[in-house]
Amino acid sequence: MNTTVVLLGATVGLPLAMLLACLWQPLRERMLPWLALGAVPGLFASWFAMRDELIVFGNAQVPLALAIDRPGGVLLGVAALLWIAGGAYAATYLGEKSSRDNFVVCWLMTLAGCLGVFVAADMASFYALLALLSVGTTGLVLSEGTPRAYRAGAIYIGMALFAESLILAGMVLTVVSAPGNSLLISAAPAAIDASPWRIEILVLLIAGFGIKAGLVPLHFWIPLAHGAAPVPASALLSGAVVKAAVIGLIRFMPIESAPWAVGATVAMLGLLGALYAVLVGITQSHPKTVLAYSSVSQMGVIVAIIGMGMAAGDGSARLIAAFYAANHVLAKGALFLAVGVIGLTGARRLPAMLLPAAVIAVGLGGLPLTGGALTKEVAKSLMGDGPAGVLATLSAIGTTVLMLHFVFCVRVTAADDDEARAPAGLVVPWLVTAGASIVIPWALYLTAGGYSLPDALAPKALWSALWPIAVGSLLAFGLVRWGGSLPRLPEGDVVVALDAATRAAGPVSAVFGRLDAVLRRWPAAAMSLLSIALLFGVAIVAGR
Amino acid sequence: MNALPAMLPETTTAGGFLLVLTLILPFVGVLAALTLGGRHARRVAMLAIPLGLVLSLAIVVEAVQTERTLVYLLGGWAPPLGIVLRADGLSAVMLLTTAVILLAVALFAHADFDTPPGTREARRPFMFWTLLLAMWGSLNAVFLAGDLFTLYVALELLGFAGVPLVCLDERAETLQAALRYLLFALLGSVLYMLGAVLLYGAYGTLDIALLAGLVRPEPAAFAAAALMTVGLLAKTALFPLHLWLPPAHAGAPAAASAVLSALAVKGSFFLVIRLWLDVMPGIITPAAGQLLAAFGAAAILVGNVVALRQKRLKMLIAYSTVAQIGYLFLMFPLAAGLSAMQLPNDPAVTGGLLQAVSHATAKAAMFMGAGLIYATLGHDRIADLAGVGRQLPMTLLAFALGGSALVGLPPAGGFLAKWLLLSAALTTGQWWWVVVMVVGGLLTSAYVFIVVMRALVTVDAGNTPKMVVPRHREAVVLALASLSFLLGLAALLPVDIVQIGRPQPFAAGLP
Repeated sequence: MNTTVVLLGATVGLPLAMLLACLWQPLRERMLPWLALGAVPGLFASWFAMRDELIVFGNAQVPLALAIDRPGGVLLGVAALLWIAGGAYAATYLGEKSSRDNFVVCWLMTLAGCLGVFVAADMASFYALLALLSVGTTGLVLSEGTPRAYRAGAIYIGMALFAESLILAGMVLTVVSAPGNSLLISAAPAAIDASPWRIEILVLLIAGFGIKAGLVPLHFWIPLAHGAAPVPASALLSGAVVKAAVIGLIRFMPIESAPWAVGATVAMLGLLGALYAVLVGITQSHPKTVLAYSSVSQMGVIVAIIGMGMAAGDGSARLIAAFYAANHVLAKGALFLAVGVIGLTGARRLPAMLLPAAVIAVGLGGLPLTGGALTKEVAKSLMGDGPAGVLATLSAIGTTVLMLHFVFCVRVTAADDDEARAPAGLVVPWLVTAGASIVIPWALYLTAGGYSLPDALAPKALWSALWPIAVGSLLAFGLVRWGGSLPRLPEGDVVVALDAATRAAGPVSAVFGRLDAVLRRWPAAAMSLLSIALLFGVAIVAGR
Repeated sequence: MNALPAMLPETTTAGGFLLVLTLILPFVGVLAALTLGGRHARRVAMLAIPLGLVLSLAIVVEAVQTERTLVYLLGGWAPPLGIVLRADGLSAVMLLTTAVILLAVALFAHADFDTPPGTREARRPFMFWTLLLAMWGSLNAVFLAGDLFTLYVALELLGFAGVPLVCLDERAETLQAALRYLLFALLGSVLYMLGAVLLYGAYGTLDIALLAGLVRPEPAAFAAAALMTVGLLAKTALFPLHLWLPPAHAGAPAAASAVLSALAVKGSFFLVIRLWLDVMPGIITPAAGQLLAAFGAAAILVGNVVALRQKRLKMLIAYSTVAQIGYLFLMFPLAAGLSAMQLPNDPAVTGGLLQAVSHATAKAAMFMGAGLIYATLGHDRIADLAGVGRQLPMTLLAFALGGSALVGLPPAGGFLAKWLLLSAALTTGQWWWVVVMVVGGLLTSAYVFIVVMRALVTVDAGNTPKMVVPRHREAVVLALASLSFLLGLAALLPVDIVQIGRPQPFAAGLP
C-alpha cells in the first residue's frame, strides 16, 4: 500500500466512514465538532498523492478507479481547505440548533461527493459521487426548514437530477463508443472524438455540466439554493460544490479536437451569462443572493475559458480553467463566511471585518495583486482580443460593480449593538480562508511554470487589471447614487417561468388523473383488453 | 435452454434434484400447515422459508459453477411426453429474489399475524401463512416450469393465492378489490390458455424448448402470440390494464401488499420474457416490440403523475408500482433492436430483469415501511406525516433508500438497470425510450422527495404513537431497502448470472 492509495482512498473513504458512523445516534450527536477532520485527507492527497497514478478497485469490467490529475489536484486542494474551514465554522454556527443532526449527515454526504468527484477516475464512481453530492446538497439547502428553503431544495434536486440524467446519457454514449467499452474517464475525450454520436455526446455533457455549473438560462436554482442554505453550507456550495461541473468539463471534453462551433457557442453562452448574472445581481439586496449571482457570473467565465480552449483546440485551457476555478473556490468561500461574521459584528469592529471582505470581493473583479488579477491575466491567452476578450473585460467591470454592491449590502447587515463581536469560532475560519484566498493563487501562479513574479508585476499587467476596476468602481458609486430606481427582480429571476409551468402542470396532472379513473372502469378495461389484443395481432401480422 | 433444443435430448443435470425440492417445499409447507392447523402455520412457514432460501442459493451456486441451465426430467420422461423443470440464469435469479423477499416479509409479518394466546386457531394468521406459502410455491413453479401448461397451472395458483391475500381484512372495499383482481386475472388466464391451445393444436407440444424450434410464422402462431401476450399483460397490470392493481395493493395488509407488489406481478412478467425471448422470438415483430414498450411508457408517465396526486401513502406506492411495471417492458424493443444489429442482447435482458429485482426489493421494503408508518400514526395521509422522521428513523431511511433505488441513483440496482437499458436504447438508436426513462425518473424523484420531506418535518408537541413499533421490524425493512440500494454492486460480480444458459439468438426479431 503506497501513500497515494491511502491518501486517495481516505479522501473519499474518511467522509464516507464518518457518514456510516452517523447511523449510530450517539456518534451522530457528537459529530459536529469533527466535521473539519473529514476533509483533511483530501488536503494531503492534493499535496502528496502521485499525479496520474491510477488506483483501481473493482474488477476488469467495472474498474472503480481513483486518480488525481493536475487540474483535479489544484481543485481538490483548495476545496479541501474550504471544507476544513467551513467545517470548523459550521461547528460554531450550528451550535445547539435542533437541525444539526440532519445537517451533519448532509454535510458529510456533500463532502464525500465533492472531494470524491475530483479524484474519481471512472464514470461509475464519478456519477455515483455526483449523485451523492446532489442528495447531500439538497439536504443542506433544506436544513433551515423554512418554506423558502423547501422551495429552493425542491428546485435544486429537480435540476440536479435532470442535469445528471443528461450527463448519464452522455456518459453511456461515451462508454458505448469507447474501445472495449472502457469506463475510465481518461479514455472519454478520445472516445467522444471518435464516436459516431460526437455532437450528441457533446451537447448532452455540456448541457448537463452546464446546468450544474449554473450556466444561464438554467442558473436559477443557484441563487435560490445558495441564498437559502445556512452560511457555512452556502460557502461550500458556491465555492466548492459547483466546481464538480468544472472538473467534469475539464476531464470529459475533447478540448484539443472539439468542433470550433461547439467551443465558440459554449464560450459565448458563458460570457453572455456572466454579464446577465451581473445585471440581475445588482438588483438584489440580500448579500448571499448577490454572492450567488456573482457565482453564476464567475462560473460563466470559467465555462467560457473551456469553450475558448475548445474553439482554439488549446489543451492548456484545462489547467487555466482549474486555476480560475481554484481562485473562485477560496474567494467566494471566504466572502460567504464573511456574511455570517459581519452579521454578528458591531460598528466598532466592523472596519476590521469589512475591509478584508472588500479586498477579496473586488479581487474577484481583478484587483491588481489579488488572485483575481492573476487568473484573469492567465486567462487572457485564451480570451484574446476579439469579442471574447471584450466580453471578458466587460465581465470584469461588471464583477467589480456587483462586488461593491455586495459590500454595501453586507455592511447594512452589521449587528445593532456597537460592541458586538462574532465568536472566534467563526472569525478564525473566515480569516484563514481569506488569507488563503490571497496567498494560494500566488503560490499556484508561481509554481505552475511559465509564469514569474515580474510578469505579474509588470506595469502593463497592473494597468490592464486596474482600469476595469476603476471603471467598475465609478459605476458602482453611480449605482449607489441612482440605483434606487432599479427594478427589484425576484430571486432566481427566470424561475418565475418555472412557477408558471408548475401552475400549468396542475390541470395537466388532473387530466392524467381523470384518464386513469376512466380507464379503470370495467367497460373501459374490457375494451382496452380487446383492443390491445387486436393491436398486437396487427403489429405481428402487418409488422413483418 | 439449449442452443439446439430440438436435436439434443435433454437429460437431468447435476443438481437437478434441487429444482424438485424447491418446487415441492412450499407445497409441503401448505399441506403441513393445513394438517397441523391453527397456530402451527406460522411455525411451518418460518421453517420452510429459510430452508427455501438455502435451496435457491444452492441453485444459483450450481448454475454459476456449471455455467449452464439446470434441468430435471420428472420421472425420467423427456418432453414432449414428460414434464421438465429448468432453471437458467433468469430463473435462478428470480428464485433467489423471491426467497429473500419472502424471508423479509415473514420476519416482518411475524408479529402482525400471530394467533392470539388462548385461541387454538385464528382465521387471519392461518390464512396469511398458508397463502404466503402457496404464493411462494406457485412463483417457484412459474420460474421452473418448462412447458406452457404447467405454467398455466402455476399462474392460476398464483392468482388464487393472491386474491384472498388482498381481502384478509374483510372490509367491503378490499373484498371489492379482491373480486376485481380475481375477475381480471381469470380473463387474463383465459386468453393465455386460448393461445396455448392454439400452439398445441399447431405444433403438438407445449414444451418451451421444443416449441422454440418448431414455431413458424403462420396465423396460428400470430394469434397465439397476441392472445398470450395480452393475457399476461392483464395479469401483470400493465397500463391500461391496471384497473385492479391500485385498490388491491393499497387495501391489503402491509405484508401482503409487499408480496403482491414485489412478486405476484413479476410472475406473469417473467412469462412474457419467456414467451417473447425464448418461445417465439421469430414471431414477434419490431412493431410489436415498440407497441409493448409504448404501453410501458404510458404506464410510466400516467402511473407516476397519478402517484404524485395521491393523498395516501399506500395509494402512492401502489401507483408507483403501476409506473414501475412500465419500466419492465422497455427491455423488449431494446433486446430486439440489439439482436437485429447482430449484437448480444444481454444489456437489455439483464437490465430488464435487474429492474424487476430492484423494484421487487425496493417496493417490498416501501410497502412494509408504509405499514409501520400506518401502525404508528394510525393513518397514512401524506400531508400529515410530520414527526415520522423522529419516531421511525430507520423506516424513513429505508423509504428513502428504496425510493433512490426506484429513481435509479447509484449504487442502487435501479441505477445499474437504467445504465444497461440506456446503453441498449442508445446503441440501437431508440432515443425515445431514453426520454421516457429520464422523465419517469424525475417524476419518481418528485414523490419520493415529497414523502421524505413531509416525514422529516418535526412536530413540537411530540404526538403519541398509536402503537410502538418494535425495532427489529424496522430493521427488517431497512435491511431489504439496503439490499435494493446496494444491488448495483452486482456489476462487480465476476459473472452475469442472468445470462447463464441463455442462447444468443443473433437473428431473433427478424422474420
